Amino acid sequence: MATITAASPAATAESTIERQESRLGWQLVAPSLFVILLLIAYPILYNIYLSFFEVRLTDDNVFVGLANYERLLSDAGFYNSLGTTAIYLIGTVVGTTLMGLGVALLMNQEFPFRNVCRGLILLPYFAPVISVVFGWQFIFDPVNGIYNHMMVEVLGLANERINPIAEARYAIFVVIIFDIWKHFPIAYLLILSKLQSINRDQYEAAAIDGYGPLGRFWHVTLPELYFVLGTIVILRLIWNLNKFEEVYLLAPNVQTLPVFTYYTAFTGVIDQGLAATVSVVQFLLLVFLIYFYVKKVLKW
Amino acid sequence: MLGKRGPLGNVMLAVGIIAVLFFCVFPFVQILSTSLKYQYDWGNPSLIPDRINLEAYAELLGFGAPAAEVEVPASVQRLLENPDLSDEQREAILARFVDTSDIFPFPRYFLNTLLLSATAAALSLILAVFGAYAFSRLRFSGQTVIQRSILFVYMVGGVLLMVPLYQISVQVGLAGTVWGSILTLVLIYVIQTLPVSLYMLGNYFRTIPYSLEEAAQIDGCSRIQAIFQVIIPLSVPMLVTVFIYCFIIAWNEFLFASVFLRQFQDFYTLPLGLQTLFVSKNAIWDRITAASMLTLVPVVIMFMFAMRNLTGGLSEGGVKE
Repeated sequence: MATITAASPAATAESTIERQESRLGWQLVAPSLFVILLLIAYPILYNIYLSFFEVRLTDDNVFVGLANYERLLSDAGFYNSLGTTAIYLIGTVVGTTLMGLGVALLMNQEFPFRNVCRGLILLPYFAPVISVVFGWQFIFDPVNGIYNHMMVEVLGLANERINPIAEARYAIFVVIIFDIWKHFPIAYLLILSKLQSINRDQYEAAAIDGYGPLGRFWHVTLPELYFVLGTIVILRLIWNLNKFEEVYLLAPNVQTLPVFTYYTAFTGVIDQGLAATVSVVQFLLLVFLIYFYVKKVLKW
Repeated sequence: MLGKRGPLGNVMLAVGIIAVLFFCVFPFVQILSTSLKYQYDWGNPSLIPDRINLEAYAELLGFGAPAAEVEVPASVQRLLENPDLSDEQREAILARFVDTSDIFPFPRYFLNTLLLSATAAALSLILAVFGAYAFSRLRFSGQTVIQRSILFVYMVGGVLLMVPLYQISVQVGLAGTVWGSILTLVLIYVIQTLPVSLYMLGNYFRTIPYSLEEAAQIDGCSRIQAIFQVIIPLSVPMLVTVFIYCFIIAWNEFLFASVFLRQFQDFYTLPLGLQTLFVSKNAIWDRITAASMLTLVPVVIMFMFAMRNLTGGLSEGGVKE
């Protein structure tokens, strides 16, 4: 015992400093951690708790067991909303990734005013949703919009003016195009920075091996981009599963899961117990996606 | 060895670039154009207004026409003729018969949003400075777990928290009052931005040479003093950027504003006010697009500012290796 303390005064001093550092670390993180636990971790747990209750606005909540889940599973609106969410996710993720890839390849070329162009492309990404949705509504407006003008009067593809945003079966596509417009810039940015890091020698080597432009794209570019493309796909899935404002503000009748939850919780016959239940289902989907992201992309 | 682009390639490239730029910029041009058009001109596909109409902007910024008076019923007229009524009471009665449904108090909503966003961004920044310092400079038990859970938290969207947060704030009694709702909203904006603030600042602090801090400590600074005297002054560009990031997130937020502020019309934020304006009226395209432009401009300016600041690189001159 005595020999140990005597032998390592330096180690003791070291561990005192370590302990001090550790304590300071916790002190500095504590406020952030507290806010996050209070306003994110606790609400997530509370939400699961609420899903087993009939939530009353003026009265005490009543425990109903799995009744909310049973009701949800027999609710046609819920299945509808799952379907809409699936179409929305597939459309936006495929669209954003392909568009991002295409534009990144284009912007990787040399041409005049390239920097100005690169800046302009980012504009949709930074613009507040609220400041652009009404402009998009105007474009598709049945009376004044350029979309109907093009379709009916210029191209003659349609016989009469329609209101694509008012009809859910068209509106979902407007919402998807809007999302691609808004989010392809971030995909483009990530892909472009990866493209610029690819060594030119690799292209030279592939060219010597007799590959044309397409072959070089297939055998050099794509394998290099594999990882960044995977990241984009999985992150877009996660973000878009959470997406509410862009869908709701542009086309309130497109009921993806978040919009469905919002209507259930705050409009018409208010049923926050059922809304909590939908949130639990959505949370499980999200955890699955995040798990996938962590395992396959971050490789923790 | 790699072939140069031929003329055909050049043409295809140019067409592609123009198409992409058109796709990106067209909606903005459309918004600007509509905000400057008179109603008879809205259906005209040309983007250049026939005649420039600035009324929408004037009205939004408060130089516009006063609210239309609604006809006062005869019974109220008689009431007003009562000589016992003070002028104040008379005005109070008349005020009820002014049609306010048409007014969009843009300056007020602008100010609400500005104050709310700035408060939330400042709080988020303060919390993040200390947290990020701990993550980037200190070693403590449980660090990795905390850092990873913060990333997880970042991916949990607001929609999942909407119902429980509302229920909690109702039960605590915050949702019933104006200031309670605003406090809840500020806190929500703080947590929505905190994970990214921590992440961005942490990465930036790692680029500041530790030798600078050591020098300060040798001069007698404690670690906390070192944060204030070394880390913060050297991080100003990044602090500004993170602030702007948080500000813009709060500036744009609609979901929670609609949940918590719906009943307090005087405290609406711009997104909530714009949406209310849009669903409540017909044929207001010039005003709604003008309001869109006015909401957009601060964000674009701040974004440009953040971009310029990012290239600052203060710490480059700080150490000579």
